[in-house]
Amino acid sequence: MLTYLPKRIGQGLLTVFLTVSVVFLLIRMAPGDPAASFAGPLATSEQLAAVREQFGLDKPLFEQYIIFIGQLFTGHLGQSYSFQAPAVQVVMDRLPYTLTLATSSILLAAVVAIPLGMWMARRSDTDAELGVNVLTIAGQSMPDFWTGIMLLTGFSVIIPLFPASGFTTWGGLVLPTITVAILQVALISRMVKREMVNNFNAPYLNIARSRGVSERVLTWRYALGNAGIPVFTALGTRFAAMLNGVVVVEVVFGWPGVGSLIVRALETRDYPLIQATVLITALLAVAVQLLIDLAYPLLDPRVRLGKAASA
Amino acid sequence: MTAEFSTPQMSRRQLLKLASAAGLFAAVGVSATACAGPTGLPGKDTLTLALNRSLVSLDNKLNQFDAAVTVQRSVREGLTAIGPDIAPIPMLAESMKMTAPTRWTVKLREGITYSDGRKVKPKDVATALEMYSKVQGSFVASFFPEFPTVTEVDERNFHLDSKGPIPILDALMALILISPAEDNKAEELQTGVGTGPYVVQSFDRGAGTYTLVKNEKYWGEPAPVRQVNVRFLPEESSRVIALRSGEVDVIDSISPNSMEQLQGLPGVTIETASSLRLNQIFYNFRKPKSHPLSDAKVRQALSYAVDGQALVHDVLIDTVEQAQGVTPTSLTGFAKTGDYVYDPGKAKSMLADLGVDDLKLKIIWETGEFPSDTAIMEALVQMFGDIGVKTELQQFEPGGNILQWRQGKEGDWDLLGNGFSSPTGLAITMLQGMYAGTSEKEKTRDTYQGYVIPSVERKIVRAASEVDQAKRTAYLKDAQQAVWDTWPCAWAFTPKSILARRDRVQNLELSAANAYPLARVGLES
Repeated sequence: MLTYLPKRIGQGLLTVFLTVSVVFLLIRMAPGDPAASFAGPLATSEQLAAVREQFGLDKPLFEQYIIFIGQLFTGHLGQSYSFQAPAVQVVMDRLPYTLTLATSSILLAAVVAIPLGMWMARRSDTDAELGVNVLTIAGQSMPDFWTGIMLLTGFSVIIPLFPASGFTTWGGLVLPTITVAILQVALISRMVKREMVNNFNAPYLNIARSRGVSERVLTWRYALGNAGIPVFTALGTRFAAMLNGVVVVEVVFGWPGVGSLIVRALETRDYPLIQATVLITALLAVAVQLLIDLAYPLLDPRVRLGKAASA
Repeated sequence: MTAEFSTPQMSRRQLLKLASAAGLFAAVGVSATACAGPTGLPGKDTLTLALNRSLVSLDNKLNQFDAAVTVQRSVREGLTAIGPDIAPIPMLAESMKMTAPTRWTVKLREGITYSDGRKVKPKDVATALEMYSKVQGSFVASFFPEFPTVTEVDERNFHLDSKGPIPILDALMALILISPAEDNKAEELQTGVGTGPYVVQSFDRGAGTYTLVKNEKYWGEPAPVRQVNVRFLPEESSRVIALRSGEVDVIDSISPNSMEQLQGLPGVTIETASSLRLNQIFYNFRKPKSHPLSDAKVRQALSYAVDGQALVHDVLIDTVEQAQGVTPTSLTGFAKTGDYVYDPGKAKSMLADLGVDDLKLKIIWETGEFPSDTAIMEALVQMFGDIGVKTELQQFEPGGNILQWRQGKEGDWDLLGNGFSSPTGLAITMLQGMYAGTSEKEKTRDTYQGYVIPSVERKIVRAASEVDQAKRTAYLKDAQQAVWDTWPCAWAFTPKSILARRDRVQNLELSAANAYPLARVGLES
């Protein structure tokens, strides 16, 4: 563990560094001019040149990159062009909204999907299981945009239970959470089912059953225990992906998260804001991935971090 | 040999139990909180507005879009404002008069103060002008031929002096929002006070929300509403749903489709007004002399192929007006110069007479430049096709490199879908921005799509510098006719400003500037 953790942190930081470096290059290779977006259509060439100079965009690309690397170490990635405020601060202002939505969605998905997957596994190949399977496939197929609009129409307009948009009350969290969770439930429950069925058919379970171990223990302790790692990994990976924002849901519900922020930053070619968003979400994603890895020994005692399994 | 078991500090069963409990608590807790709490409906004394763009600040040095004007001006004000009849009306200035060709004399209202009690001084105006002139990429600065200087007479009176005559300075000063001199900076002010009917109680830059409360020290009639919540909802369908649910009182800048959806709904009223914007299908004036489009007759012929009325009724659902000149009819100084007529037979015969055959056109535009943009462009392809002209479309996403294309640096094109607004409410502003190009400006490609016609430019300059009102009106008409005769557009239209409000919202007077004075808006008791 003593060598594993620093090694993984180092790998994570290298991943983040490479990610932000690639993004730095790609956004500058993409068509569009931040100065034109900033100064508007009436700006003259002279004014555009002045804006480019103000933003440091007149410098050679390599020099801009060196400045950017320096900024990475200070944590100050410059002023957002469109918000006229420190880019990191603009992202941090939005991050709580994204974290709230991602956490509530993944928790809801886990709470619904794991028992549902277990139920499906226990009743595999029955009519009831088939019906639920159809529902999960439907959940997987429904576009977020459509689900969101349907939920809004149903529970904000026809039966006005929840706010239609934004996060002005806690009620505002319900519909976006359900919209995001529906897809996750569909995916995770099917995964749980698959893993559980594999375990139910495994020889070790038959041996345990022949030794008189109760079905409850077989299901919860043996089968679910062994299915835990892939399911936990999937939940963690999906959570990390949500930290980049769930753009469509954010747009439909007027949710002020990081996803809609980066769309706006891309539209206005707000380089500092794009870089700050990528840096922060990449750091979070790497941190979540590391936490998942660190949690493996808790789920399966056979896993020993940093050591190959002995023969 | 089996692997050695390590001893975890928490057993798997404990972990699973804990995770399940936390998940259950979160899922049930969230729903329970939501059910128990309010559903986001505004209170009786609270007005809620939903904007389509995030209100980054309540300053306009860099950012100004139509819907923001309403909110910005409810907190900060200028010496003047553009009134409901698109003429400058006094605000902080009790009077503003041109007393010499290069001098305007201003008298501030007596006893006028900011919301924190500080007095408004001539120095605040001087500093505001300086800061607007210093900020890079200023939206406002581009409308000023030069920034005037302030010569203070006393606490209330001062002169605005310029090198050349600025006969429209009273309209231009409506764009300069006044803040205390000691707080003003050459940047977009994120916080601070103003003189308007409301003050900022709180704002959340992350969410793009502002809470405004009544300014108890307001110099005018006190605002009838105690609190105004400003929210940012980028997606139009979400804004429509929020209005329908009653969560939001006013939504603006809505598309023809949304207007159709909302029309006739109980509790919802649609307000429309003309606008200060002209959307055009503008020709590329950088074509070589040998190209057919460099001939005004060819441009005129192509305009006969466009069935404007069909576009207005069928595509834009009567939410726009076909242009009757080179500026919107709502602008002060507008002169009717002609109509767009649909006559494909005439278009064909004119092209044949001019020896133009096998003409191919390329239309470029940026997504969202105007409502139903793609549908309009597709209709144009059909209409030009009917007279034997093949048309290619190229659409650019916002933030892309359309500027490079417009300047002819990336590729060639023939027609551009574009819009141009005159926030001063004056026709001359639009004429100067679009048609006063010079060969000097064209060297850096800073003219409007290469439009450089010296005779037209001279007429615009003459109109812009004329201090006599009657003469200026005549010169303006002459300049507009001269522009029209060059057939710069295949078609042009003025979109209507459209907003939807809940019926409980009273006294909302939507103007052509797509804004309304928030100070007068009330709520049904």
